[in-house]
Amino acid sequence: MDFTLNEDQVLLRETARAMFGNECPPELVRDAFYDVTSTGPEAASSFFDRHLRDWAALGDAAVVDLCLFMEEAGRVLAPGPAWVNTSLFLPLLRAIEHPSADLVAAGEVTGTVAVCGRDGYWVLNNDPMRSFVPHANEVDVVAILSAGNQVSCVAVAELDLQEVATLDRSRPVFQFAVPAGLDSTEIGAEQLAVVLNRGTVALAAELIGVGRWLMDTTLEYVRERVQFDRPVGSFQGLQWKLVDAALLLERADAAVYYAAMCLDAGAPEQDRAVHVAKAAAGTAARRWARDGLQSLGGIGFTWEHDLHLRLRRAQASEQLLGSASWHHDRLAELIFAPD
Amino acid sequence: MKLTWGAEEEAFRAELLAFLDAEVPEEIKGGRDWIGDESPEIPKWASEFQAKLFDHGWMVPSYPPELGGRNATPLQTLIFLEELASRGVSRSVHFGGYAIVGPSLLEFGNEQQKGMAPSAIRGDTVWCVGMSEPDAGSDLASLQTRAVPDGDSFIVTGQKVWTSYAMVAEKCFCYVRTDTSVAKHKGISVLIIDMDSPGLEVRPLRHLTGAIEFAEVFLNEVVVPKENLVGELNSGWRITMGSLAHERGALWVESVSSAQRALEGLVEIARRQGLEQDGVVRRKLAELYEEVHSLRALGYKGFASFAQGSSAPEHSFMKLATSELRQRIYGFGMELQGPYAAVVDPEFVEEGGRWQQSWQISLAGTIGGGTSEIQRNVVATRVLGLPRG
Ligand SMILES: Cc1cc2nc3c(=O)[nH]c(=O)nc-3n(C[C@H](O)[C@H](O)[C@H](O)COP(=O)(O)OP(=O)(O)OC[C@H]3O[C@@H](n4cnc5c(N)ncnc54)[C@H](O)[C@@H]3O)c2cc1C
Repeated sequence: MDFTLNEDQVLLRETARAMFGNECPPELVRDAFYDVTSTGPEAASSFFDRHLRDWAALGDAAVVDLCLFMEEAGRVLAPGPAWVNTSLFLPLLRAIEHPSADLVAAGEVTGTVAVCGRDGYWVLNNDPMRSFVPHANEVDVVAILSAGNQVSCVAVAELDLQEVATLDRSRPVFQFAVPAGLDSTEIGAEQLAVVLNRGTVALAAELIGVGRWLMDTTLEYVRERVQFDRPVGSFQGLQWKLVDAALLLERADAAVYYAAMCLDAGAPEQDRAVHVAKAAAGTAARRWARDGLQSLGGIGFTWEHDLHLRLRRAQASEQLLGSASWHHDRLAELIFAPD
Repeated sequence: MKLTWGAEEEAFRAELLAFLDAEVPEEIKGGRDWIGDESPEIPKWASEFQAKLFDHGWMVPSYPPELGGRNATPLQTLIFLEELASRGVSRSVHFGGYAIVGPSLLEFGNEQQKGMAPSAIRGDTVWCVGMSEPDAGSDLASLQTRAVPDGDSFIVTGQKVWTSYAMVAEKCFCYVRTDTSVAKHKGISVLIIDMDSPGLEVRPLRHLTGAIEFAEVFLNEVVVPKENLVGELNSGWRITMGSLAHERGALWVESVSSAQRALEGLVEIARRQGLEQDGVVRRKLAELYEEVHSLRALGYKGFASFAQGSSAPEHSFMKLATSELRQRIYGFGMELQGPYAAVVDPEFVEEGGRWQQSWQISLAGTIGGGTSEIQRNVVATRVLGLPRG
């Protein structure tokens, strides 16, 4: 397998990084956190409107490209519904050949998907409620998935959204009652799996970005911070902890792009690769949040330091589309499946 | 980014597979580790296989034919190592000669010494590498074996330890101290020492497994001709850094594949023990699967940087990660065997305690070739850029 990025991919990554670097300063992200009563932070949603609608078509692109973008979005913790809109909603509409798909790709219509019932597991169900629906307040349409592989698209205006406050204020999730008598379209089981795999790997890529920020910030801090007349980063106890966390992040990063390549190639091992990617990425991001916090000491435990924003994202995203344990259990089914 | 290589690479692979199908000795077919035994001799099938690999250009493919290769590209070398590793085939039972001594002679030796490289790589001359000493392990630069000039010779006195294959080797690639007045890294040289020199004595040491593979080497006023100095006087530290540069981008392949084979063995044990439905076992196996497969991806990611000529920091993690992972896989397999974990009697356990043997061998992986602790120190300072402690 060849991890070399082609010229277009290098350019895509650089463009995304420059855009986020210039347009998405930490204050913007923090606004969403401080304004805990708001369900649609002004600054944050206008960031999406001004800068991320243009990128919606990435939902049609190679998964590797999508991941390169999501990693950069995760690094800055870009506000707004880009992940769910490009990685789940658009591919879902494409899969059912929905007439609005082109409008979504053009950034003119946005949407999210509703999968979980109130138990919070990302498995199709008949619960009368849908819950953990990301960014529902910031989009136009919700695609509701139900048992029997049914998809119904509903305008957000028609739903009575209730926010389920989570640790991660920058990715609000909502619960609502599924309206009665919706029209629905059936999606093939394989196509559905492809859509969910795509969304899962994109989220894993975002978690890699979150982990990268934590790692860079931590390493920079321990190189500079002096105690006992030495930089604290020279203490072996701290070094070894950070080496192990770095290994975890590096292998998770490789696993995410490997899974993306598998999806792009329609390779038979794609399901296994996706389970590995999400489990590894979620574990790595949470590990860096914890060990990064420990390495920063007291400053890391303050509201002012941006670390907690990532700690929250890592912890909350771990549960979206399946935690590490959930993916490990699915993986075990495949490992023990008779050939 | 893509999953597959091009047609040219696949043709190369096909040619290799045809060769392996025909030539891999029975003794190592089917991915059996050859683990050595009570006899220190190198088995005949192993020497014959190594010579055959050399003669067909499959020993070190990146080298030209006269050195046992076929001028293979880095990618072809990767494919070569992939295929050997997935079959659990190693090229030689004594890797020092082709992997360390041959390449070092070619890079640092004079014309006459370069001429010794082909036989080192073909395995016709067996070499040992004398680095570690009783007081110089991880801190190799503190080695004390002294070489004092005396006319046309050096007089060498000291002791080496853990020297693999010393009891069957003809020659030793030996690190000695030639200047005691300078900083420790600056006074080291490399000498080629004939193992039958008067004053040189080898005392085999058994491995913890019981196998005889390494030895202590005592040097008592051994006379070594000055022309046996490799490279400049006092430039030995540079030579410790050099080995198969061409293969550096792909050395991880063998260790990841061996972890993968161990994992497959673990799944078998779980089935055999009726533990397939055990939730704890399933989750643990899946975690190990995650590790093996993400490390494989990491190896390939590093290879992409390596092939483009940049450094591959990813690879600094591989020896550390795979050696510790193998230990955990074998350790977990011991746990799964319950009361029979400790039994090595072929009458009572599957495969005559082969798992137990491999578990023991996995314990050497975090010591030999630089301990895990040293690897972590190196990654911390060179990859993460943390200040030295
Ligand atoms: C199977 C096998 C084959 C071998 N073959 C050869 C061979 O052919 N030729 C040869 O020259 N050598 C060979 N060796 C020797 C090997 O290279 C050494 O064992 C190794 O470098 C460690 O040195 P040591 O055993 O002296 O341990 P020490 O260096 O004494 O280390 C003891 C412990 O202290 C730790 N430690 C040391 N320094 C630090 C530090 N700075 N920070 C934290 N912890 C530290 C180590 O990690 C280790 O846990 C072989 C070893 C094995 C197991």
